Amino acid sequence: MSDWRPPRSGAQEQRGRSQPSWAVNGPDDRPAPEPEPGYQAPQYAYEEAPPAYGYAETFTPPSPSYTDDPYGESAPGAGPSAGEEYPRAPYYDQAVSGAYGTHEQAAPVDTYALDEPDAGYAVYEAESVPPGYVLPDVPESAWSFDARRSVRLGRILLACLLLVQAVLSLRLRGTAFEDEALYIASGHYELANVLHGTPVPVDFGAYFSGYPKFYPVLAASVDSHFGLTGVRVVSLFFMLGTTGLLYAMTRRMFNVRAALGAAALFCGLQSTLYLGNFATYDAPALFLLALSAWLVVRTGRSNMAFVLLAAPPAALACGVKYAAALYMPTLVVLAVLTAYRHRGWRSLLRGVVLGAAIAALLGLGLKLAGSLGGISGTTTNRAHGTDSALRMLQDSANWGGLLFLAALGGSIAYGLRARMGEMPWIGNATPGPLRRVSLGVLLTGTALLAPAYQIHLGTEISLYKHVGFGLLFAAPMAGLGLARLVGPHFRNPQLGIILFVATLTFGMVQSHEEYSFPNSKPMVAYLRTVVNHKGIYLAEEQEVPAYYLRDVTGWNQWQTTFLMDYQAKDGKHYSGPAAFSAAVRDAHFDVIELHGGVTPDADQAVTDALKGNPHYRLTAVIPYTTSSGTSAFRIWVKQ
Amino acid sequence: MTSRIRSLAAAAAVGLLLTATAGCSTFSSSGRYKYQHAEGGQPSVSGTPTDGAKASAKPVLPYDIRPLLKPEKKYFGVSLPGFPASMQPLQTYASLVGKKPDMVETYAAWGDQFESQQVQDTWDYGAMSFIAWEPMKKSLADIAAGKDDAYIHQFAQSVAALNLPVAISFAHEMNGFWYPWGTKKATPQQFVSAWKHVHDVFAEEGATQVIWVWSPNVIGPMKSVRLKPFWPGDAYVDWIGVIGYYGLDGPHTYKTLYGPTMDEVRGFTKKPFIIAETASEGRTRKPADIDDLFQGTAKRSDVVGFIWFDYNKETDWRVDSSSAAAAEFRRQAAGKAYGVDVRKP
Repeated sequence: MSDWRPPRSGAQEQRGRSQPSWAVNGPDDRPAPEPEPGYQAPQYAYEEAPPAYGYAETFTPPSPSYTDDPYGESAPGAGPSAGEEYPRAPYYDQAVSGAYGTHEQAAPVDTYALDEPDAGYAVYEAESVPPGYVLPDVPESAWSFDARRSVRLGRILLACLLLVQAVLSLRLRGTAFEDEALYIASGHYELANVLHGTPVPVDFGAYFSGYPKFYPVLAASVDSHFGLTGVRVVSLFFMLGTTGLLYAMTRRMFNVRAALGAAALFCGLQSTLYLGNFATYDAPALFLLALSAWLVVRTGRSNMAFVLLAAPPAALACGVKYAAALYMPTLVVLAVLTAYRHRGWRSLLRGVVLGAAIAALLGLGLKLAGSLGGISGTTTNRAHGTDSALRMLQDSANWGGLLFLAALGGSIAYGLRARMGEMPWIGNATPGPLRRVSLGVLLTGTALLAPAYQIHLGTEISLYKHVGFGLLFAAPMAGLGLARLVGPHFRNPQLGIILFVATLTFGMVQSHEEYSFPNSKPMVAYLRTVVNHKGIYLAEEQEVPAYYLRDVTGWNQWQTTFLMDYQAKDGKHYSGPAAFSAAVRDAHFDVIELHGGVTPDADQAVTDALKGNPHYRLTAVIPYTTSSGTSAFRIWVKQ
Repeated sequence: MTSRIRSLAAAAAVGLLLTATAGCSTFSSSGRYKYQHAEGGQPSVSGTPTDGAKASAKPVLPYDIRPLLKPEKKYFGVSLPGFPASMQPLQTYASLVGKKPDMVETYAAWGDQFESQQVQDTWDYGAMSFIAWEPMKKSLADIAAGKDDAYIHQFAQSVAALNLPVAISFAHEMNGFWYPWGTKKATPQQFVSAWKHVHDVFAEEGATQVIWVWSPNVIGPMKSVRLKPFWPGDAYVDWIGVIGYYGLDGPHTYKTLYGPTMDEVRGFTKKPFIIAETASEGRTRKPADIDDLFQGTAKRSDVVGFIWFDYNKETDWRVDSSSAAAAEFRRQAAGKAYGVDVRKP
């Protein structure tokens, strides 16, 4: 044996020995799982002398004695003598006692106790001759336990995920989509109405799917200074906030590993990436739902009244986007299932309190806002379409199937077993089976709400966005499912990686596929040369030119191709496609712009009326390509 | 400490990996092409959408030919031998008459490709191309039936791709009997159908840069042939390109040469006229004819100009067939009424 001793770190040299951080900072610094209501951690104290760890160099028992002497520098049997109370480690008391009970039951410790004389030789050797190899510090707990280090690491990884989400969202490029143009443009008029009392050109509340004085005003304010890009960046912040809140909520419900899994799977979804660069109600509504859900979970162990904090964001989410109301039942039931301090009817009461508060706020809001025809027109009583249920299910599965399956797996695994078993001694500090199963059913089932409702309506419009609302709620269970897939002690990391990469890949490709609308830049540039503040213009998706050309035209100068009533020069009254035909025959419009596909019936009527029409000249055909193929803006000008 | 560094390094590595993954392509080559085409194809200008798209220069917008349809001044056009093989004849002609032509007529047989370079060169010179498109090898009925659509599409695509204004006169002198598409070989209905079909294919291809010139011969030689049956409609025509020469015999004043035709045309349309081909055969009378042409065109607000047929073909139509004619032409061309700046009409 040589005299060589292993080098020590500076900290070790200072302290003279390696100690876990909690041993230095005191027991209060150690995070510990919050116990189930009514759970009493058994008090543990050594009543007898603990075993001597002669082989401390080669064994790491779950005992503070080792960390007191990691290098075996103490003399054999240097632990407290019989009758002394062994230095207590609160963490050990709480965590270890659940599994090992009393000291007498600590079989592994006894295995290495040195009662034989030979053991003394070994210790003597260790003291006199430096060992050739010393095990590094072994963490007290597995990573599944949210020690401070793992929490910090989790936050770093979350930051990485948010970075990925931001990069993938910002990769999406395009000029304003119809909805974006509509909301921002209307926001400018609403803002002028709020600030200066300028009458709004139309009653936007009559057909908007959210309250026109909420998001549109915010969007217009940002647009005034930073343009469409700025408004989209606001959406990105909302979506990053949503992922962050999802992480916090899942960590609160489960652990860091599940939270990371939830954030990882959610941040790569098509809907998440899309909405992160899309200036519509959806991102803020989703953020507010996430905020409300997080508050519900966060106040689960607090006084029941604290759940009221979740009501304003929930109600606001409904105001921002009416369809968010679909998720109010989920929030209410979540309030019941996360009422950790209560059982039975008192936990139900928590849900009732939240539900009543949300209802009261919504009622108040509705009274203040007055008539909002848009609620029925766009949400509750939307016109039924003819899109097939199978198609919608297929698309929903494409967009969120992986996360949903992970959530399903997580729910089943969670229902069967509360923990993976890495730290069985804290196995009791979990909700009971009924609550676990209910939570899984609630969160995973919420993912089906949007597809189910749209199948009921028979329309797939905006489903690619709406599917993300339900997936937000299913994501915690998916995160848990991913954690279970990886297994205890990271037994199968490759499975988790496969799931994450597959979700990310699907999300990247699908978001590009969906985030593909006509590049209106040249079309608007051309229209700018032929419009003024007097003309009447017919445009398919008229919101786009109306938004970009609002400096030279008014909102009401633009006629949509969706619907029209027209009093023709022949004195007859027309509506629908016939109105467009008659108006074109009468040369009612100064400029006509069509690009096909959005309103095929009206397009056909207008095109037919233009054929051989001496009043109009086709002056520009501007091709564009989207993921649906190649088409063109066609612009006719009255001559 | 070491373990913390290791953890941080691992986290950073994962972050880098994820970021790298984010940057990876998820497209096939065709998908990438489509994506790039959709995303980066159109640049922006001030006052137009710029958000979220690649910043670049002015967008390439379809050329709006409407200002060229009825410019303030009159077109001063010419058709020359040796052009477009060389720009030299054009320059020689310009120096001869003292003014740069603003419109140059060429002839394209059916089946010829659209000469983009020639049109570009002409435009660069400061003139607009006027193409007389002659369906020598294909019947109007076949054209109307779409039997040569591939060719028409290709021609139209080339026009759209070049994105410069060009006047096209399809099957000119359709009311005469001397061409294969004339009254002996085709009916007015076939002509109209063929015209509309060609026009629609161009519209389909987005070739909106074309000024469509419906070009009858003056009705004098064919008094029994009415023009209206050949008329495709106002939606299909921009100019009425009347063709009429000052001959030794027959009408040789603006009013008698073009008047009857213009009067008849005014019976069914108000589209502007252009004298699509003209010249004078008169020997001693040539300076007078030239004076009549310039003055007659200048007086009529519904005539946008003329194209001088400067050939020595069958007879000497050229401006400089006599020094007196050349001098008169030069004098008349100097008038302010003529000469369109095609870039700023």
